[in-house]
Amino acid sequence: MKTATLKMFLLGAVLVIAHASVADNMIMARVPLRAEIVLEYVKASVEEHGYTVAHLQLCDGGMQDFGYKSDFYRVVFFGKVDEVRMVSEHYPELVSYLPLKIAVIAEKDETLLTVLNPEALAPFFPDEALQIQLGRWQSDLVSIFNDVRRAVGARIVSNH
Amino acid sequence: MNLIRLLLGGLAVATISVSGTAHAAPDGRELYIEHCSGCHQMEGQSGIGLPLLNAKLADVSDKYLQSTIRLGRPGRVMPAFQRLSDAQVGAIVKFLRQRSETTEIAYAEEPVVGDAAHGHTLYTEHCIKCHGADGSGEGQGTGVTTSRERTFLVMPASISNPGFLASAPDQMIRRVIHVGRKSSGMPSFDSKLSETDIDDLVAFVRSFEQQARSVAEIDADERPTHVFESPHDFETTVNNVKAALTGANFRIFPDRLLEQGLTDEFSVNTRQVGVRFCNFNVLYGMLKIEPRLGVVLPCRITIMEREGGEVILVVPNLRVISRWFNNDELVGLWDRMEETFTNIIDEATL
Repeated sequence: MKTATLKMFLLGAVLVIAHASVADNMIMARVPLRAEIVLEYVKASVEEHGYTVAHLQLCDGGMQDFGYKSDFYRVVFFGKVDEVRMVSEHYPELVSYLPLKIAVIAEKDETLLTVLNPEALAPFFPDEALQIQLGRWQSDLVSIFNDVRRAVGARIVSNH
Repeated sequence: MNLIRLLLGGLAVATISVSGTAHAAPDGRELYIEHCSGCHQMEGQSGIGLPLLNAKLADVSDKYLQSTIRLGRPGRVMPAFQRLSDAQVGAIVKFLRQRSETTEIAYAEEPVVGDAAHGHTLYTEHCIKCHGADGSGEGQGTGVTTSRERTFLVMPASISNPGFLASAPDQMIRRVIHVGRKSSGMPSFDSKLSETDIDDLVAFVRSFEQQARSVAEIDADERPTHVFESPHDFETTVNNVKAALTGANFRIFPDRLLEQGLTDEFSVNTRQVGVRFCNFNVLYGMLKIEPRLGVVLPCRITIMEREGGEVILVVPNLRVISRWFNNDELVGLWDRMEETFTNIIDEATL
C-alpha cells in the first residue's frame, strides 16, 4: 500500500476510535502521547470551544519544590466569563467548581485526561436552566477530549 | 508495530461500519477504548485500573467479566457501567477474549458448603497477610498507576467487595485457592489445605456478604458545597481565612480572583476571591491513593461580597466530592479533612 493511502486509512481508523469515556462522575480519555505535548492540544481545543484558558496549575512543580518526586501533572483552568458571572450571581454554591478544570496526568509516555463530569452536580440543582448549562459543559468537555484524541491520532499517523 | 496493528484494527471497524452489514452490532473494541482504556490502557497493561492479564482472563468466566463491568467494585475505583446494554457489555467481553486469545472457564453455580468458623481460622493463618482482616486487601492505593511506586505490583483483590462477591461464584473462589493466580502473586494452597479446608475457606469468604461497608452513606440533604455567611467585611474575612489556614499548617498560594484570566483586569470582579491552599505532605499521600485528584485541586475557599455588602464563604463539601471517585480510602481521609475545613471556617467567622 502506498504511504499516502496508508496514512489516509490510518487516520480514518484513528477518527473511529476517538471517544472519551463518561463513567458517571468522571470523564476520562487516554492519549498515546507525552503529557507535555498533549497539554498544548488541550489548551488549543479548549479555546476552539469558545473558552478562555484562565491559568495553568503546576501540581508537580509545587510538590517538587517541597522535595517530592512527582510526575508531570498539570491542571488547566478555563471558562467563559459570562457563564461564571451567571453562576456566581444565581448559584453561588457552584462557584467552587468554576472555572472548569482538566487534569493532565502523565503515565509514562501516555497521558490521562480527567475532568469532573459537571452532570455529577445535576442531582443537587433541579433548576432547568442550570441543568441545561451543566449538560452543555459536559458536552463540550467530551468534545474537547475527543478533539485531542483525534489531533494526537493524526499527529501519530503523520509521523509514521 | 503495535500501533500499526491498533490502527489497522480501527480501520477494520471503519470498514465494517460502512459495509452496512454489521453496523448495528456493538463493537467491543470501540467500546473498550471508550470505556475501559482510560484506566486499563489500550492493551490492558494497567494504569489507574488493574492489569487485564491474559492469565487472569483465562481463570474467569464470561459471566464474571460481564458482572464485573456491570457492577464495578464499589469503593475501589472501578465504576459500575449500568448504562451499557447487555449487548455492549457482551461485546466488550468478546473483545477481551479475542485479544487475549483465552477461553472462559464456565463455573458451576452450585454453592460450596463449608464451615465458615473454621474457614475464619484458616483465613487468619493463610490469607490475612495479603487480603486483610476485613478482606479488603492490604496496601496503599486503589490501583497500580504505573508511574508511581507501589508496595505491590498488583494490590491483593478485595475479596469482601460486594461487586466481587456478586460476580464470583463459589466454585471460582474455590479454584483460585486451589491453583492460585500466578499473574497476581496469589499462591496455590493445594498442598497446604485439604478439600474440606478449602470449602471452609470459601464459606468464610462468602460470609463477607454479611459485612457492612466501612464507608458511611452521606445524608440525603447534603450539598456539594457549604455556604457560610461572614459577620465581617470582605477584607477582614479574607484575612481571617488566611490566618486560620496558616494556623492549620496549610501553605497559602497567591489570591486568585474568580474571574481572573477570563476577562481583562479592568472588568474583573475584585470582590470574589479564591483563597487557595495546600498541605503538600497530605496532598502527596492523597495522590498515591487517587491520581485523578487534580480535578478538584487546589483546595480553595471562595469569598464573595454580594449585593448589599453581605459576605459569604463557599467551601467544597469533601464528604460529597470524595464519593464521586468511588474510592473508599479517599473517602476515609476526606471525611476527616472535612472536620479540619469546618474548624477553619468556624475560626474565620468568629
